[in-house]
Amino acid sequence: MGRLKRAALLTRLMERLRENGSWCGETHVQKAAFLVQELMGIPLDLEFVLYRHGPYSFDLRDELTGLRADGLVRLEPQRSWGARLAPTEHSVYIQELYPRTLKEYEESLNFVAVELGDKGVAALERLATAFYAYRRPEAGETVERRVAWVTERKPHIPADLAITAFEDVERMVQEAGRHSARNAVATSNTP
Amino acid sequence: MRLTVAKHIHEIRDPVHTFVRLDSAERQVLDSRPFQRLRHIHQLALTYLVYPGATHKRFEHSLGVMELASRVFDTVTSHANVTDRVRDRLRQLDNRDELAYWRRVLRMAALCHDLGHLPFSHAAEKYLLPDGWDHERMTRELIRSDEMRAIWDGMRPPLVTEDIMKLAVGQKKAADLQFSAWESILSEIIVGDAFGVDRMDYLLRDSHHAGVAYGRFDHYRLVDTLRILALPAADRAQDSGEPALGLESGGIQSAEALMLARYFMYSQVYFHAVRRVYDIHLMDFLKEWLDGGLFSTDTQEHLRITDNEVTAAFLAAAAGDGEGDLHARRIVERKHFKLIYERNPGDVAINPDAGRVVCAGLVDKFGTENIRGDHYRQRGSAPDFPVQLRNDEVVSSLDVSETLGQLPVVSVDYVFAERSQFNDAKKWLDEHRTRIIRPQEEADGG
Repeated sequence: MGRLKRAALLTRLMERLRENGSWCGETHVQKAAFLVQELMGIPLDLEFVLYRHGPYSFDLRDELTGLRADGLVRLEPQRSWGARLAPTEHSVYIQELYPRTLKEYEESLNFVAVELGDKGVAALERLATAFYAYRRPEAGETVERRVAWVTERKPHIPADLAITAFEDVERMVQEAGRHSARNAVATSNTP
Repeated sequence: MRLTVAKHIHEIRDPVHTFVRLDSAERQVLDSRPFQRLRHIHQLALTYLVYPGATHKRFEHSLGVMELASRVFDTVTSHANVTDRVRDRLRQLDNRDELAYWRRVLRMAALCHDLGHLPFSHAAEKYLLPDGWDHERMTRELIRSDEMRAIWDGMRPPLVTEDIMKLAVGQKKAADLQFSAWESILSEIIVGDAFGVDRMDYLLRDSHHAGVAYGRFDHYRLVDTLRILALPAADRAQDSGEPALGLESGGIQSAEALMLARYFMYSQVYFHAVRRVYDIHLMDFLKEWLDGGLFSTDTQEHLRITDNEVTAAFLAAAAGDGEGDLHARRIVERKHFKLIYERNPGDVAINPDAGRVVCAGLVDKFGTENIRGDHYRQRGSAPDFPVQLRNDEVVSSLDVSETLGQLPVVSVDYVFAERSQFNDAKKWLDEHRTRIIRPQEEADGG
């Protein structure tokens, strides 16, 4: 995917997150982009590894800094709560270059934004880490084994909350199918 | 697990840190072939053609990184600097033997973090190594080579090779390995985006040798105020409490100075246009001079080739004896391509990729042999790290520093033209620039 097209998608995703109440800091965008790509099947061409607060893409980290360099996103420092990412007016101009792409993926972006909009960092970490484990065969096929896999790597996540996160993942995978025709990869892993 | 107390301490004088000290076991790493090779790898490639003093090597930088890593480790693990909340999350902080083990792993990882650099360091390594290879992967191969593994095994207690590899290259370049929270923090000490000592040392050292003041900052104060802190989060009630490298509030001005030093050094030294075009000419020379246009990834071959062999080759080629003579003469006779276009706010407002499309347009018209492009955008996150206030509250750095929130992002687009084509190319660009930079809306179904 070309850089400008990805910029259009990422800035539209940020808009939708903010409209749905998300704080929209870097962590929020990281987890949302992870689900947009891995659950909804939108090919952002980002590689994710398990890192701080769950799945994380160093490519996306660099991309967000690039968007700031290009004046498409700005930081909004907020007292006590760190910085939010805000798409600029200029990002609208870039989005207008990709009407077909944005129309094609609009529903998928909305689905992720609605699902994640009210979630804080800790909840996002649990959910995204659970989905990361859900997609990896080595994490096992039962909830018990997957929970053990997650809590071994993220000891600060309590087991009961990890179980809830896997329940949310199961529901999201099912519902994602109604919002996108591009989630075949995700649903094919349903045990 | 009990560490044997080292009997001999070796002191090495250093222009940045005064003394760098290491014991006899660590000295074996210093004396190894992979590390001694770094005596012959320029830290800043051909920058000495622009800043004559910048002839320093990866060797002394690696020693400096080890020294700074040790200082940071001692500060952040000091009992007085660790809160109970962090101690609960990182059991290593309460175990003296584990701390001693990891201190040595960190020092060795810092010492070895640049072993895999190609001749002339970063010069276009992605074009000069096979797909899937970079200098970090070469570094990993060397750390686990038989020669180095024998040293790790001989230490008391023995060091686990994988531990050194992880800390030396960090999580981004070791995505296949699993990092604990403790290992993530230690790797951050070396390669971290905010406070990595790799960057701290190269800013100080490059500034010193290049003769520019931009890279200096109060690193003593900065290191003294580093802490391991639980990350703040937008939703404090749900803060996951995952620990990360942060700062006590008294060091915030030093952190600002570090970030500004980085910005100034990038814009004034590392991305000096002439320095960059020499890197391009060197890459073009190497593509013709090397067998198959690529460096070998065999560790023994890697150890045999340094800046010395490459310099001898381009000097010979420039004198008419060898492949790549045209590119070699551009370096040796200082007939580098001239800057014809650089990134500017007006064009970026029309098209953030203006630099690339201008380059593509010029290449179409004048040929790739006469036009070369160089494009870079700063990597890493916004400088958002945890800061511990005097009342022990932990907040985001962006809450306590307006400066950090306003830092410019380094972004470079250069296009260079061969001297004999420069005037024609400039005239063509003046006539066509407005048209070629305007982005096209995607077509239906396209």
